[in-house]
Amino acid sequence: MATHALHVDDALYEEVRGHRLLGFLLFLISDSILFMSFIFGYLYNRAAAPVWPPPGLERPDVFLAAVNSIVLFGSGVTMHFAMESMRHENRKRFVGFVLATIVLGLMFLGGQVIEYTTLIRHDVTWNGTTFGASFFTLTGMHGFHVFIGVIFLITVLIQTLKGVYTTQRHFGLTAATLYWHFVDVIWVALFSLFYVY
Amino acid sequence: MDSGSRQASLLDSEFWGVTALMAVLSGVLMWGVVIFPIDEFLPKASSAAEHIDYLFKFMSFFSVPFIIFVNGYILYFTWRYHLRKGQSRTAVGSDIHDHTALETLWTVIPSILMVALGILSYIVMPEYYLADAASQATVEAIGHRFYYEFRYPGLKDPVNGELHLPIGKLVTIDLTSAETDPSQAVIHSFWAPEFRVKQDLIPGMVVPIHFKPTRIGTYRIICTEFCGLGHSDMVGKVIVESQAAFDTWFAQEKTRQASSSQAMTGTISLAGGDEASGATLFSKKCVACHGVGGFDQKKVGPGLGNIFADPQHPKLVNGQAATPQDVAALIQHGAQGPMGTMPSMQQNGLSAKDVANLVAYLKSIHQ
Amino acid sequence: MAVGEVAVEPQEHIHPPPTGFVSKYIISFDHKVIAVQYFITSGLFFVLAGLLAELMRAQLSGPHNNVLSPTTYNEAFTVHGSAMVWLVTIPILTGAFGNLVMPLQIGARDVAFPWLNMFSFWLFPPAGILLFGSFLVGAPQAGWTEYPPVSLMTPGTAMWSAAIFLIGVSSTITGINFLVTVIKMRAPGMTWTRMPLFVWATVVTAFLSAIATANLSAALAGLFIAQIFHIPFFDPARGGSPVLWQHVFWFYSHPAVYIMILPAFGIISEVIPTFVRRPIFGYKAIAYSSVGIGLISFMVWAHHMFTSGLAQWVQLPFMILTMAVAIPTGIKIFSWVTTLWRGRIRLTSPLLFVMGFLSTFTFGGVTGVFLASVPVDIHEHATYFVVAHLHYVLFGGSMFGIFAGLYYWWPKMTGRLLDERLGKWHFWLMFIAFNATFLPMHWIGLLGMPRRVATYFAQFDPELLRTISATNLFITISAFVLGASMLIFAYNALRSARGGERAGSNPWGARTLEWMTTSPPPYYNFAEIPIVLSGPYEYGKPLPYANIKQDPDAVPLH
Repeated sequence: MATHALHVDDALYEEVRGHRLLGFLLFLISDSILFMSFIFGYLYNRAAAPVWPPPGLERPDVFLAAVNSIVLFGSGVTMHFAMESMRHENRKRFVGFVLATIVLGLMFLGGQVIEYTTLIRHDVTWNGTTFGASFFTLTGMHGFHVFIGVIFLITVLIQTLKGVYTTQRHFGLTAATLYWHFVDVIWVALFSLFYVY
Repeated sequence: MDSGSRQASLLDSEFWGVTALMAVLSGVLMWGVVIFPIDEFLPKASSAAEHIDYLFKFMSFFSVPFIIFVNGYILYFTWRYHLRKGQSRTAVGSDIHDHTALETLWTVIPSILMVALGILSYIVMPEYYLADAASQATVEAIGHRFYYEFRYPGLKDPVNGELHLPIGKLVTIDLTSAETDPSQAVIHSFWAPEFRVKQDLIPGMVVPIHFKPTRIGTYRIICTEFCGLGHSDMVGKVIVESQAAFDTWFAQEKTRQASSSQAMTGTISLAGGDEASGATLFSKKCVACHGVGGFDQKKVGPGLGNIFADPQHPKLVNGQAATPQDVAALIQHGAQGPMGTMPSMQQNGLSAKDVANLVAYLKSIHQ
Repeated sequence: MAVGEVAVEPQEHIHPPPTGFVSKYIISFDHKVIAVQYFITSGLFFVLAGLLAELMRAQLSGPHNNVLSPTTYNEAFTVHGSAMVWLVTIPILTGAFGNLVMPLQIGARDVAFPWLNMFSFWLFPPAGILLFGSFLVGAPQAGWTEYPPVSLMTPGTAMWSAAIFLIGVSSTITGINFLVTVIKMRAPGMTWTRMPLFVWATVVTAFLSAIATANLSAALAGLFIAQIFHIPFFDPARGGSPVLWQHVFWFYSHPAVYIMILPAFGIISEVIPTFVRRPIFGYKAIAYSSVGIGLISFMVWAHHMFTSGLAQWVQLPFMILTMAVAIPTGIKIFSWVTTLWRGRIRLTSPLLFVMGFLSTFTFGGVTGVFLASVPVDIHEHATYFVVAHLHYVLFGGSMFGIFAGLYYWWPKMTGRLLDERLGKWHFWLMFIAFNATFLPMHWIGLLGMPRRVATYFAQFDPELLRTISATNLFITISAFVLGASMLIFAYNALRSARGGERAGSNPWGARTLEWMTTSPPPYYNFAEIPIVLSGPYEYGKPLPYANIKQDPDAVPLH
């Protein structure tokens, strides 16, 4: 618990932090398995299809997705700098970088909405063929993870403003950073699988 | 610690005696496996069956000592090392933690057996599975809810429920599953136990199997993949006959198909319908999907116990209570229901006389 | 002083004890209380799922019965299987036994994330209510494997997916929790090779739960949206494939069967040394083979799909790996039997159940090898041969293991002993009735009886049908006796709870850490965290704990 963190000695804090870090990493591994299962399903259906995309359907546009990817990776950079600011006790810069990350994350989601509406107008739908089904399910899951990440970051921001974190003790921030980078890595995979391959 | 034990002989003569006893018992049972007449219980009807049975016996043969020794030693050690009266419950047993040679032995020997099993299995694998270039004919088998449809080369219409094969000819069966409405197709399975052959019928896939019938007779096809309410009753027949008998059947079927296409149109006469023949037919052709209970006792289709004009009763045909002629027309043309497809008389291999008999039977059981 | 007496005050950073009924028994963060909650909930679902089985057997007592309509029969076998896997076996072995025993055995005060532990449990009753509640609106019908397309055409599949999804989340969280606990919170001096074997089993199981379950969640989500929103992953008309479901489902469900057996293996490894009072034979082999089994378990899933149209070059590695996984399992069995050799054996109820396990699980393992060989599996797949095999490994294996564990740790959990005589009656009746129920199933399966049929008059000619019907009737009667044998346990448990003989800290004279504290343990488990000096099964040597004294006069109660 957050308040608890301030009242225990260093040894105990480090011990518990070790548990939380391992637990969080295991959670991220489990989450990747979730994505990998859907990716397997996508590749399985795609390999069995005689022609891809199915006749009459277009692949989504790379350009918009590339721009959106840069936005998302940019948010990973800002998050990295946020972490650095925390370590160097620069509260103001920290808050600024976290806000930037949140904004970029929301821009990414907005970009996805544009992408989705474009595709639907071109008859690529969630419940049409496996082409749309795979795309919307996987990117939708990813988008949901981004959305949760944004909420995570807002929580971290509030905790910071309440003075809960110190330069040594900020596991919540570490976890949020790891999660945010995780979301970036998943996007690399999805971008490659849907837009490049 | 062991009290005053002979370190030199950890395993004494009693142990070896019991082991020898178990070896003898195993030997007897292993001999039993070798001579066990599988055929008396499940005949072999394909060339692959012999090798599969051999493989099964191979596994049973080596399983026997494994089971005898594991159970035997459990019983023996429990009896021998059980605390006797007067011995303290704090007495401690041997502190031997491991034994490299023994552990190696019981890792290596099962591994060798597994390798042998793997090799034998690999050799037998191609014997039933997938198409074979040497195959002399291909029959299509299509699973429906809840019957098998067979399309023979040279026959224009499918034959339902019966796979006729001439003895000694290698044949490929192309298996799939389909319905008139593709969204209704489900996975079935084609299992012919006497042939030791099984393959699932999967919508959207055509999977070939091949085998050579080696024994004349009538055998079963059983669906083993849950496919809905009629799964328990989804069966078919494989009829292996001499080439001459097969040719006769083929010719008769060809003729019947030519004439039955006329019976498809027009009204069927119900005069002279025989209820006993109808009853037999019903139990062969209809019982997979229809019971004889009330209309609302659905299996796949409604119960047929009281489908004729009855003011009390829910409507059968187009919102009206059914007349015998209505029912005859349904049998003639078939129907698409919410739970499955009712085949037409042609698909069911029914003649006009058959239809009349069926209607007579239904009238006789009418409550 | 006697073992387990509290000599000193607990250290300051232990939280104060919970007060009030709700924090003590309902929203509890204490792993021991959570374990009891799991036991009770799983026990309830075991009874319900068992009743479903008896209904099924009543229907199958004759070839053309009308005890259950085809729809209800289908619902019965589907919910029976799903409940036994996800609401009984997995929760008892992980949530109940894992929670009760593992933290004590590693000398910890609780698990790494007590709040998550509580949360994991509370996902469980809703999942069960969803699954059994589906009977009111149309339960799923396509078996615990719910293959599409047929599962998408029957009601209840979406509810089933949601229920199992919930239990999957619970299982994943528990897996992560247990992994961190064992990796990070072992008592000082407890190296990996000084851990009790139940803890080894729990670690590998936790790894499987944490990693494989996410895959099931994906599959279930896919099936749910397929039924509700018509998403075409499994529809061949729109680019999907029914076989895709099978791959994704079995990629989890094969490791799942190891989740259901590894903790039982762990229980066997604990019970045997205690009642033969000697070290376990082949500790390292048993520990490492568990790891090997866990890893290989991810590589054999398609042996459930040998009739699904896979290419032969795909079938081959699965066949080989499935045969390979039998080797580490065999090693364990041989090691356990050898542990009996030159022991000083006290044949108590827990040990009897262990022997029942060894006998039945070995048989089930052997029939598993029969199913590993592709040509032979082709004949046996989806017949009663498989039903026999799976019950020999899951009932013979997991269930006998669970009862061994229950009889063994009941005194630790409740502070009271179960009655030994009743325990023996329970065992013998269960063992005999179990074999009478499931052994004949191999035979009727080979002769032509398929799975998941409510009637079986269509598959046999009249002469063979007489044999099959008589056998099925015999199986049904045995199954009812098997069900009745559970009443003996229920009666024993009630009697014990109402005033059974008090157990003391260590009624069995065992050496693992859970026996070095009171029965039941205080909420903080140990007054002092133990310091471990060597392995836990060295009977004849002094206790391997620096700060726990052995009572030289203590004699096991049984």
